[in-house]
Amino acid sequence: MAEIDSLLQTVMFTIYGNQYESREEHLLLTMFQSVLTYQFDNTPDYSSLLRANTPVSRMMTTYTRRGPGQSYLKVVLQDKINPVIELKDVDLEINPLKVYANMIEREEEDPGSVSDSLPRGVTAEEAAENPRVQEIIAPRLMKLIELANSFLEKIIQGLDETPYGIRWICKQIRSLSKRKYPDANDQTVCTLIGGFFFLRFINPAIVTPRSYMLIDGQPAENPRRTLTYIAKMLQNLANKPSYAKEPYMLKLQPFIHQNKERVNKFMLDLCEVQDFYESLEMDNYVALSKKDLELSITLNEVYATHALLEKHSAALGKDDDSHLNVILQELGPAPAQLLRKENRAINLPLFSKWEHAIDDLTAALDITQEEVYFMEAKATFVQILRSLPPNSSVGRRPLRLDRVAEAAATLKNDAVMVRKGIRSMELLSQLQELRVVDKSDGFSLLRDEVESELIHLGSLKEKVLEETKKLEEVFRTIRDHNSYLVGQLETYKSYLHNVRSQSEGKSRGKQKVQALGPYKFTHQQLEKEGVIQRSNVPENRRANIFFNFNSPLPGTFVISLHYKGRNRGLLELDLKLDDLLEMQKDNTEALDLEYVQFNVTKVLALLNKRFARKKGW
Amino acid sequence: MDKLQRRREYHIVVLGAGGVGKSCLTAQFVQNVWIESYDPTIEDSYRKQIEVDGRQCILEILDTAGTEQFTAMRELYMKSGQGFLLVFSITSLTSLTELHELRDQIVRIKDDPLVPLVIVGNKSDLEEDRAVSRSRAFQVSQSWNAPYYETSARARRNVDESFVDLCKQIIRKDMATRQVREMEKLDRGDRHRPGRGGRKRKKKFLDGGNSRCNIL
Repeated sequence: MAEIDSLLQTVMFTIYGNQYESREEHLLLTMFQSVLTYQFDNTPDYSSLLRANTPVSRMMTTYTRRGPGQSYLKVVLQDKINPVIELKDVDLEINPLKVYANMIEREEEDPGSVSDSLPRGVTAEEAAENPRVQEIIAPRLMKLIELANSFLEKIIQGLDETPYGIRWICKQIRSLSKRKYPDANDQTVCTLIGGFFFLRFINPAIVTPRSYMLIDGQPAENPRRTLTYIAKMLQNLANKPSYAKEPYMLKLQPFIHQNKERVNKFMLDLCEVQDFYESLEMDNYVALSKKDLELSITLNEVYATHALLEKHSAALGKDDDSHLNVILQELGPAPAQLLRKENRAINLPLFSKWEHAIDDLTAALDITQEEVYFMEAKATFVQILRSLPPNSSVGRRPLRLDRVAEAAATLKNDAVMVRKGIRSMELLSQLQELRVVDKSDGFSLLRDEVESELIHLGSLKEKVLEETKKLEEVFRTIRDHNSYLVGQLETYKSYLHNVRSQSEGKSRGKQKVQALGPYKFTHQQLEKEGVIQRSNVPENRRANIFFNFNSPLPGTFVISLHYKGRNRGLLELDLKLDDLLEMQKDNTEALDLEYVQFNVTKVLALLNKRFARKKGW
Repeated sequence: MDKLQRRREYHIVVLGAGGVGKSCLTAQFVQNVWIESYDPTIEDSYRKQIEVDGRQCILEILDTAGTEQFTAMRELYMKSGQGFLLVFSITSLTSLTELHELRDQIVRIKDDPLVPLVIVGNKSDLEEDRAVSRSRAFQVSQSWNAPYYETSARARRNVDESFVDLCKQIIRKDMATRQVREMEKLDRGDRHRPGRGGRKRKKKFLDGGNSRCNIL
């Protein structure tokens, strides 16, 4: 297990360490596919499937701890868990024996409080029938159901936020269990999905939120117990609970009844994600075209992986000429692990020794031939069906795959489609030989997957359009905000310069601060520039109005309003740059000069332009 | 004193890998029922009153999650538990190897290599799928100085025996610690190692063959 742990660590966090890059994510998921398939093929019955702690479950643990899984748990659970943690004094114990024992304890502490002494050593049934116990438990049940419902609500609402990889694993579990156990009903499939999604992803985080960094300290006893109850209730939704274990849990059955159906629907919805084989194929080519692929990895990780490969080389490369064997032979024995202080990270340039495109998916991804045929058949049928005219008769449901293949193969004037049609026919017969699909049931296994894939693709376009619209909106908002911030920055810059020159002036003492201005502006001019945003001056008088802008000191401005022919200004306004900036920050747009209203931002712009102090600007 | 003794409460924790049958074993012991369904445990707790060596005691049994994702809860269980039932499945060797980590952690947390402990190899009814030989299990049992039981929760074989054995160990330990405390109060020089006697006896019957450890 330790070996597996360190290998997984290397694979998941170093080799495919870019947790948000689709190609690395996809390659990692194909690894899941192989181990999951192996597990399904090697487990005798489904009730023990995915139960034991195996390399697969290790992978799941490690995988759920990658970035997307962790941030999902934060988003979905944190707000729900924190209030429960606060309920330190709220005891929601509903085990009658414990409640009863608690009553006895209290009675012993304070013998005078109760008149009729409680009998000791009662059975669980007797405790459950005690009216006082029932009285205590009833409101607790309500509270627990309310809490569990709110968790569930949040989880179900979070469907779209559930990381792709997690959902894809759910999808794999569904399709593997359908293939392995054709009779499995939805309930069984949901049980298995729940065995991953709830048991290994959601519930551990609810029960031990601290180890998922959802809370800081260790929860107190009451909240801990409450969280455990919530997790148990959620798990009961996924699995058929056997109340044989803890009969008192039966009291929470209303919660199961209320939610069973929608949880099953939710878990099936989780599986509704697109496959990525096509894009992975693309990614592979793209990766080959990338020249400077590098991997940052520690020496010890390289050595450990090397040693593991060496150890299991017999099982890995049966063929002596396999690429892996060739490389291993050239490398010789794996170096020993270095001491911690000698260990360091290196940048490993990646290239293909054999320099040709990976066209053999099987070798590249280490999955079975069956798998590849199945995936290719699915992809080919999806491509055919999407290229056919939408009202074509073969597109009717349920699909008859042989007809679809034939229709494509006999299409006139479309060599590509004909090739695809022929290929899909070949694949169908190969899959039938391998007994993956069966003509007698209309190739239902493949058909169902093709149909569900088409549904996704149909909605995919709309989703992309919607997404684009949203992104455009976001882009606009960001741009607006950006220009606002740039404006702010400019103003602060000038302010800073002002302050600096002011203080310089002070420190040097001698240097005279020169008053700048006055600059004269006409009403018309300012109106045109938008500095005046509102004017109460009658039209016919406007030509006689002008303004003087003075700056006696850096950062201080005097604006005066004049009427032609009069010596003294009608109105004078002392302004500090700070005040203006403050107004701008508070989104105050208007600067009132009684007769006219100035626009704060525009005034700032004007002042900056006019009074830019020569020094240092 | 008498009253206290009559209602003594002991905390037992059932630990082990996922799917080895911890819950089935516990439910058989506490409720005499066989659970068929697929129902992974997160944390179940039971109380059961039994008579051991003429003394009434209440067992507070905690049935834990075998699913590895819940390992963070273990530490708390180990702190509060007085005796541990370490369960593996005779059909899975890795389930036995997983017990090593558990036992190490218990010894570390309890700071006591002789903490009351019983090793249980469950699913003995699945003889045809056996992957852990008896001798292999005995080796572990001897190196840990803890008794080994082969059980079948389905057939209710050796279920009570393993729990009762653990119970006796806890009681002995409990009494020895009390005695030691008493003695320390009286005479600080003379000291007995608590629990030693009980262990020695067990080792003897282990050496004497697997007669009592397995009901075949």
